[in-house]
Amino acid sequence: MKRPIVLLVAAASIVFASTHLLADDLRVIANFSVRPDTISDSDLKHIFLEEKISLADGDHVEPVLEKNGPTHATFLQEYLGMSEDDLENYYRTLLFTGRGSQPKVLGSDAEVVAYVARTRGAIGYVSGAARVEGVKTLAIWIPGRERALITRVEPYYPETLKQLGIRGTVRLRILISAKGNVEAVELLGGNPILGESATEAVKKWVYAASKSRTVAEVSIAF
Amino acid sequence: MHRGIAALVISCFCASPFTSAQDFKILDREVALHGFVSQGFVYTNTNNWLTMDSNQGSPGMTEFGFNLSTNVTDKLRVGAQLYDRNLGQLGQYHPSLDWAVADYRFASWFGIRGGKVKTALGLYTDTQDLDFLRVFALLPQSIYPTDLRDATIAHLGGDIYGSISLKRRLGDLSYTAYAGHRSDSIYSGYPYLLSQFETIFTSFGGLQYGADLRWRTPMKGLLIGASRLNQDTEGKGTSVNQLNRGGGRIPYSESSKSDWTNQYYGEYRVSKLRIDAEYRRYLRDELIFGATSENVDDVRGWYVSGAYRVAKRFEFGSYYSHYSITSITYGVLAGLLPNQTDTSLPANHVYDKVISGRVNLNRFWNVKVEGHFMDGYGSSTYPDGFYPQVNPQGFKPNTDALVVKTGVSF
Repeated sequence: MKRPIVLLVAAASIVFASTHLLADDLRVIANFSVRPDTISDSDLKHIFLEEKISLADGDHVEPVLEKNGPTHATFLQEYLGMSEDDLENYYRTLLFTGRGSQPKVLGSDAEVVAYVARTRGAIGYVSGAARVEGVKTLAIWIPGRERALITRVEPYYPETLKQLGIRGTVRLRILISAKGNVEAVELLGGNPILGESATEAVKKWVYAASKSRTVAEVSIAF
Repeated sequence: MHRGIAALVISCFCASPFTSAQDFKILDREVALHGFVSQGFVYTNTNNWLTMDSNQGSPGMTEFGFNLSTNVTDKLRVGAQLYDRNLGQLGQYHPSLDWAVADYRFASWFGIRGGKVKTALGLYTDTQDLDFLRVFALLPQSIYPTDLRDATIAHLGGDIYGSISLKRRLGDLSYTAYAGHRSDSIYSGYPYLLSQFETIFTSFGGLQYGADLRWRTPMKGLLIGASRLNQDTEGKGTSVNQLNRGGGRIPYSESSKSDWTNQYYGEYRVSKLRIDAEYRRYLRDELIFGATSENVDDVRGWYVSGAYRVAKRFEFGSYYSHYSITSITYGVLAGLLPNQTDTSLPANHVYDKVISGRVNLNRFWNVKVEGHFMDGYGSSTYPDGFYPQVNPQGFKPNTDALVVKTGVSF
């Protein structure tokens, strides 16, 4: 019973603590109908390119763009990998071939927040300084962009488990603070007995400092 | 021509820097209105090109389109676009329904669309009219012959499509599979070409089916893909027996024995640079005059293009386009249409070196200047830009062309 609670707390910590993005001056916000609190950069890109109209839970999502400005430029560069002109041409291609529509484009953070708050499934972005009442802030998970690991502690592998032939690989999702400490750990896969040992070790790991909290996935083989 | 210029002027007037799509509401639903118009001028130093009197300088290159679309539900979207053009002797301002689509997306990986649907074939078949998307005034004619636009632009039928993210961040796969009916305008390049033999089409079209698969690779900015198109077309009309010209008009028919296209392509975008490359092979085996004759055209084309945005408002680009054709005729018409198998002859190829510059006067209005340096003039049995009707003096082996084009979109 104790372990599930730990995991639940860890998962909840990720959810509530991951309110910062890799780019500090930007927040990705969503209507409360969007159930997940974390979204991968890949899903975010697919949503804004209108290739994804729902998340894994099947709920509808729709992108909302901010017009021009540094927030818009940062979002395009960081998460879509496109210039403003490229994105405009992309939407025009969809429009003029009958394959999609132009997403809502709004002029200010306040307008984006207001629209996202009242529109089911809406996902948008605003500057880090914006007031974000009535919406939720999504944490962005970027697999493959892990921070450098400075201190690694190997997990304890009890002799009895070795003798019993209990082995395998444990997958963990970890929340790393800006200073580099591991704040929360979530078991994604593998033997739960080994997962407990791996979690204890990973909590002692130290990563390179960063501008913000980040999420990473690690695999540990026993 | 006058109508085209009038439309351009009106659009320029409307397209102030503050103009955007015109959105309005019908039955409490937001409806978006978008449009484009372009006007070109072409001058060539030797042969007349693209059915224009380009040797004298011709402004006969006008096109425009307008579309309406709306989201009926989260998953259902409907829309339609009207299109019209004049290109020398082609189009002649006969408007057509370019696309009219109902699109229902069940999930990211599966959707269906039906109606008159733009055909997914290579990088640009479905967007070839959308001049405002690119630096070039004319796409590489080896793959996207503007005089044959009708042949592949759309089908009356349906698509299934979707996008799948590959695991381990191996990129995304997008697919489209389609089937439908192709319906060519009688004001297109092929009917015009055959008018040299006094053949007049009353209808031309048939079944099209195919698929397109494209992979957005893990390498940022790199996309590769492949398309396949099969066709079964039939053309009907009247003609004159070239062996007995005094015999009056006789029924004309042609139908596909085999008709397929394979196309492979890649696109790489990094920062302000864009590089494209495509290869297409088109094999067309037609039975003519009730199978008394047979003509086999084997068309191969490829190009490599690059475009670079030098400044916010200025881009330049260049491409090399390589086109070759072999044509073999069997049966009654074999004596009239000698076999063409040597692609090194100017009559069987067009090699086009192109440089182009584009200036965006504002977000909606651009001007392009483009130079073409062409070696060869292609076949007389298949449309490839150079037509005997507008070159009665015969063809010169090389043609240089200047294309100036301006366009507006909103």
